[in-house]
Amino acid sequence: MAELKIKELLWEPIINRNPVTLGVLGICSALAVTGKMQTALVMTICVTVVVACSSFAISLIRNQIPSSVRIGVQITIIATMVIVVAQFLEAFLFDVSKQLSVYVGLIITNCIVMGRAEAFAMKNSPGASLLDGIGNGLGYGLVLMVVAFFRELFGSGTIFGFEVLKSVTQGGWYVNNGLMVLPPSAFFLITFLIWAIRTWKPEQNEED
Amino acid sequence: MARESVSKTFIVAIILAGLCSLMVSGAAIGLRSKQEANKIRDRKKNILMVAGLYDAKASVEEAFQQIEPRVVDLASGEYVGKDQFDPETFDQRAAAKDPKLSITIPAEKDLAGIGRREKYSLVYLVKKDDKLDQVILPVDGKGLWSTLYGFLAIDGDLNTVRGITFYEHAETPGLGGEIDNPTWKALWADKKIYDDQGSVQLHVVKGAADKNSPHQIDGLSGATLTANGVTNIVKYWLGDDGFKKMLERLKAGGA
Amino acid sequence: MKSLRQFMDKIRPAFEEGGKLERLYPLFEATDTFLYSTDEVTTVEPHVRDSMDLKRIMTLVVYALMPCVFMAMWNTGYQANLAMQSMNLTAAPGWRGAVLTALVGYDPNSFVANIIHGALYFIPVYFVSVAVGGFWEVLFGIVRKEDVNEGLLVSSLIFPLSLPPTIPLWQVALGITFGIVVAKEIFGGTGRNFVNPALAGRAFLYFAYPAQNSGDAVWVVADGFSGATPLTALATTNMSTGMDAINVSWTTAFLGIEPGSLGETSALACLIGAIIIAYTGVGSWRIMLSMLIGGMGFSALLWAIGSDTNPMFLMPPWWHLVVGSFAFGLVFCITDPVSATLTQTGKYFYGAIAGILTILIRVINPAYPEGVMVAILLANVFAPVIDYFVLQANIKRRKIRNGT
Repeated sequence: MAELKIKELLWEPIINRNPVTLGVLGICSALAVTGKMQTALVMTICVTVVVACSSFAISLIRNQIPSSVRIGVQITIIATMVIVVAQFLEAFLFDVSKQLSVYVGLIITNCIVMGRAEAFAMKNSPGASLLDGIGNGLGYGLVLMVVAFFRELFGSGTIFGFEVLKSVTQGGWYVNNGLMVLPPSAFFLITFLIWAIRTWKPEQNEED
Repeated sequence: MARESVSKTFIVAIILAGLCSLMVSGAAIGLRSKQEANKIRDRKKNILMVAGLYDAKASVEEAFQQIEPRVVDLASGEYVGKDQFDPETFDQRAAAKDPKLSITIPAEKDLAGIGRREKYSLVYLVKKDDKLDQVILPVDGKGLWSTLYGFLAIDGDLNTVRGITFYEHAETPGLGGEIDNPTWKALWADKKIYDDQGSVQLHVVKGAADKNSPHQIDGLSGATLTANGVTNIVKYWLGDDGFKKMLERLKAGGA
Repeated sequence: MKSLRQFMDKIRPAFEEGGKLERLYPLFEATDTFLYSTDEVTTVEPHVRDSMDLKRIMTLVVYALMPCVFMAMWNTGYQANLAMQSMNLTAAPGWRGAVLTALVGYDPNSFVANIIHGALYFIPVYFVSVAVGGFWEVLFGIVRKEDVNEGLLVSSLIFPLSLPPTIPLWQVALGITFGIVVAKEIFGGTGRNFVNPALAGRAFLYFAYPAQNSGDAVWVVADGFSGATPLTALATTNMSTGMDAINVSWTTAFLGIEPGSLGETSALACLIGAIIIAYTGVGSWRIMLSMLIGGMGFSALLWAIGSDTNPMFLMPPWWHLVVGSFAFGLVFCITDPVSATLTQTGKYFYGAIAGILTILIRVINPAYPEGVMVAILLANVFAPVIDYFVLQANIKRRKIRNGT
């Protein structure tokens, strides 16, 4: 693998081929877990680990998988990874796993994981698949973190739980924006993000 | 063996299934004890918090030594011996759903809107110098959208509130969700539960509480219905159907 | 005046193509056409058949809104003065109090005192709406090289009328920003918004700051007064009190002499507006009628069914019409031609959906005492689908008639 290719595999999915802002994938969890930066960060790590490991594993055995059962095989591997990750969270990060609740389990249904397995890992070497998985996980995570930053800052006046804007209910001046606490606000934020990125990189615009 | 043959398909499927189930069960079994410990620790932490004994730096286990869990028969108000239910392992949530361990609440009495109530409940006693300092009662009931689960801490005089906390609910953030707000929860301290006749007077009002009343708590703006739910939970669980019998026994020095 | 015209003409070249301030042309154009009628005429055929242009439509809506504006000032002031009288307060706090004490006092029986008291709340809210809304319009106009038009005047008048009088001004600014930018400019500006910008801004405030804007808080501008709007009073009462929880008579509610949003309390004011816009054809009578029938019919149904636990079921249909913002939404919000359906048949469905949804949210949903705003926004979203089905049905019918 050439030096250039490694860079490309890792960096391309972060802005240029971001799974959320270009592919509009993984929106469901991006709405659900972005209320606080801490949960968003843990979710980012979980998804990155799952995509990277499952892509690597699938790529490793890609030449052995009969095409009639390939989706089943991919799902089995992904589900295994997700369950293992969920078990580890419950054991070592109990508070966060309580907040993430079902959304860790729902990584199985995250289109990004399945999409990378089917579109990339089935055709490329394990090393490249691993990098591609990490890149896509981070691309997804970047959007999560940006959205969570605004939602937590304006919704609760905090960043990673540290008070930035002292809210009125705590005796300060900032009136928390209740819309930001509600998951639909992530729709608006992701839309603004897509708007910003496509203004910066017009080649991402879809053709009419 | 050809990649697309039937036998190959089966072999791949079986090997994969075997490997994956090994990984999953390995993780589940290997981490179970830690997960269980986490759950118990989490519950204990909530109890310590409402009792005002929680210290983020100190060990939860150690702090919990001050607290004595007991199982109480709500109908008689008497403690149940360890031989019947061990307070360490008694699962109250499960008991509330178990037809053998719970009763149906008649609709006119069902203030909290829970339908069924467990016959036996956990209570937590905090003692200081051999004197009863606090009693902590688990309470639950309907808010606006969801069932609220919480703890109510009562002073040793069995009439003064020490604190309240809801550790599980799904009320609207910013409105009903404000029942989590520490400033609001602090309003509960030193309020009186019963009047001289022994009926539950503690309640959340709409708007600002009357400063001279020992029974009123400020309302939550924009969350009248959640606040009504909290009032009903308090009324139900501290009333005749709830912990009142037990509290009376404690007061008489018995139980 | 002549010198102003000369001045405008003198500076015009600077704003036209190639001029120094070319980028600011929309701002110049807006000021110019606001001051003088446009000198641009159609140069090619066909000419429009009547004199109805966007400017005239919008101006008519503004006229139709005037009764509501009047109520926004008088009723807000009257409620405040009444509340102060009941609490034996003799002066309001802050700069408004200073103005009122110096000029007119706080007598609820004095027409002038009420108007002034209300105006001191309405005018700042209105001013902020126009200024902030105008700022975004001009900014987008400059960036996109488009003209600023009169649609803003309507949006920025409907929006403040739908707000509670107690609203802080910074929330007004945020709300109109959301309405104009997210609901309108993102989609390409006037004529391309798929939901009503004023309502979208109102909805933003409703969900962002629900404690102040969802009707549960006190909406009378007097310190320490507690009195809920009729809808909230009924939603939070118990079954035995029932309709007695509403402490105003039907006639009073119809006239709009009750606590509520600035300009939405009076069904009578809305009725006058309805006559103006229906007669001139600016707003579709079909939509208004079908929303009325949908709302009344569905509330009659729920009223007949009844409930043992939910006091909202006790509200008869004729009450639904006069409380909350049903009448205001029916006349001024849902009729916005841009976000409404285009087909005549579709208009009946569109109005009926909004009417039924309003009552559904009011009566069944425990959290939101008022549902007009959300119902109309949802109807806005459905409008293109309704049009689609109407057109498809039409095509099918024609195929059958003509035997393919």
